[in-house]
Amino acid sequence: MDRPGTVLLGHLRLYVLLLRAQMRSQGVYRVSFALDAVAAALITGLEYAAFALVLPRFGTLSGWTLGEVSLLYGLAELAFVLMDLIFGGFDAPNLSAHIRTGTFTTFLLRPAPLPVQVFGSDFALRRLTRVALATGILAYGVSQVAVAWTPGDVALLAGSILGMICFFGGLFVIGGTLTFWTVDSVEAMNVLTYGGRALISYPMDIYGAALRKTFTYVLPAAFLSYFPVLHILGRSLPDGLPGWAAFVSPVTGPLMLAAAFAFWTVGVRRYQGTGT
Amino acid sequence: MARLGFRRQFAYPQAALWGLLTNTFFGVLRIAILVALFGRRPQVAGYTVQDAITYTGITQLMIATLALFGWYDFMRAVHRGEVVTDLLRPHDLLAFWTAQDAGRAAGQFVLRGLPMLLLFTVAFGAKLPVGPVLTAVSLLLAWALSFAFRFLVNSAAFWSADAVGIGRFAWALWGLGCGFLMPLAFFPSWLQQILAWTPFPGMLNTPVEVWLGVKTGHAALVAVWTQAAWTVALFWLAQVVLARGLRRLEVAGG
Repeated sequence: MDRPGTVLLGHLRLYVLLLRAQMRSQGVYRVSFALDAVAAALITGLEYAAFALVLPRFGTLSGWTLGEVSLLYGLAELAFVLMDLIFGGFDAPNLSAHIRTGTFTTFLLRPAPLPVQVFGSDFALRRLTRVALATGILAYGVSQVAVAWTPGDVALLAGSILGMICFFGGLFVIGGTLTFWTVDSVEAMNVLTYGGRALISYPMDIYGAALRKTFTYVLPAAFLSYFPVLHILGRSLPDGLPGWAAFVSPVTGPLMLAAAFAFWTVGVRRYQGTGT
Repeated sequence: MARLGFRRQFAYPQAALWGLLTNTFFGVLRIAILVALFGRRPQVAGYTVQDAITYTGITQLMIATLALFGWYDFMRAVHRGEVVTDLLRPHDLLAFWTAQDAGRAAGQFVLRGLPMLLLFTVAFGAKLPVGPVLTAVSLLLAWALSFAFRFLVNSAAFWSADAVGIGRFAWALWGLGCGFLMPLAFFPSWLQQILAWTPFPGMLNTPVEVWLGVKTGHAALVAVWTQAAWTVALFWLAQVVLARGLRRLEVAGG
């Protein structure tokens, strides 16, 4: 019974159970749900549409065609919305609401692992329209670029998405943990999460050296999707970085996530210590 | 009422500071995209690179003032039934809410808008208004028009218990239509022609073009008059919708 596999399976079953309960409750108000679902996709859809409609007047975005930008934009959006579905419970506004209303204390009292409960606490089904939209943008990008797709390229893109999910998920966990101390951290984390997503939705050479280098060497966001896409398009990496730097996304992301959960453990221990 | 709404905005200075940081960060990203689009072109659709930078500054500084990312205050008052208490006051309900939002908008403009304007002018070389008086009038009308639009969207609360979804929808369309996402002059002409028939351009794009001098002289005056006409029309519509909504509320309330 105590084998790690059995334990993990038990956690997974609990997670699925929590998701199912939420999916049922979100299906109650059908019209409102449908409107919300469409509106969620509309926000991103119109932002992308505004760029796509304007680009023909200018030709390219510093040498990048619409198809090439769509590759970056679709990757970032797809990874971010999938991350949002999985890690939504850790997002600072959601978690701080749980702390304020006392549901978080209930989580601590239940005989189930805390992270599994938080993972299963905010599953916004309406975001599925955004997943569909992001997939569409990515598919458009894939079809428009002159690349002879190899299984390696596909694996590189999949790894890039996986890396981004872990990376931004890690940022959500850090932001959520910070709410144990202060609620003011919410906006600061938004700059990194939503700002980071916006940043890597476009080719990073447009930002100027200082900003690009900050998001390469300080916060390694450039490794997540910009470098993999550069590799697939057959372009060289900036600053004379070696070719393998395009392949570290599946490592960067999980490292960030591991660090985030280490911080989370410290935060939870402190939170219990206050006796709230 | 307006004074109270104004003062209320200063209750959370820290939130305003973070908001300023976030707005600046996104402003820098948007400027980078526009500058990269321009490349070596000196001018596109009447905009220079400096105009595009200034456009970004103006739109970023107006986010909080116009509540461009959404406004649900009146909707909340209807859903919670607070609107009934408001009715007992001796003022006209629409005027009451207009005054309150005027205060809110002015507070946000002073707290977030002016520092941002200073920052964009000093750090990024944003232009100051070509004709300050007409620009100020146009900005004021943009707020009034945006408020009438927001109030109308919020009035959906009289008919639907979950009007938040309708609101989200409306704000998304608004972002594109008013020229927040991109200057309307950059869009294909078919889209510009469609939008010209809506009140959306008057809610942001018109003051931007007057500020930059993209529209000057007669054209600028016509644009501001169009804003004024839409403002009158939407306020009239808001009054009608409000009267209907309140009658419905009375019926429902028994």
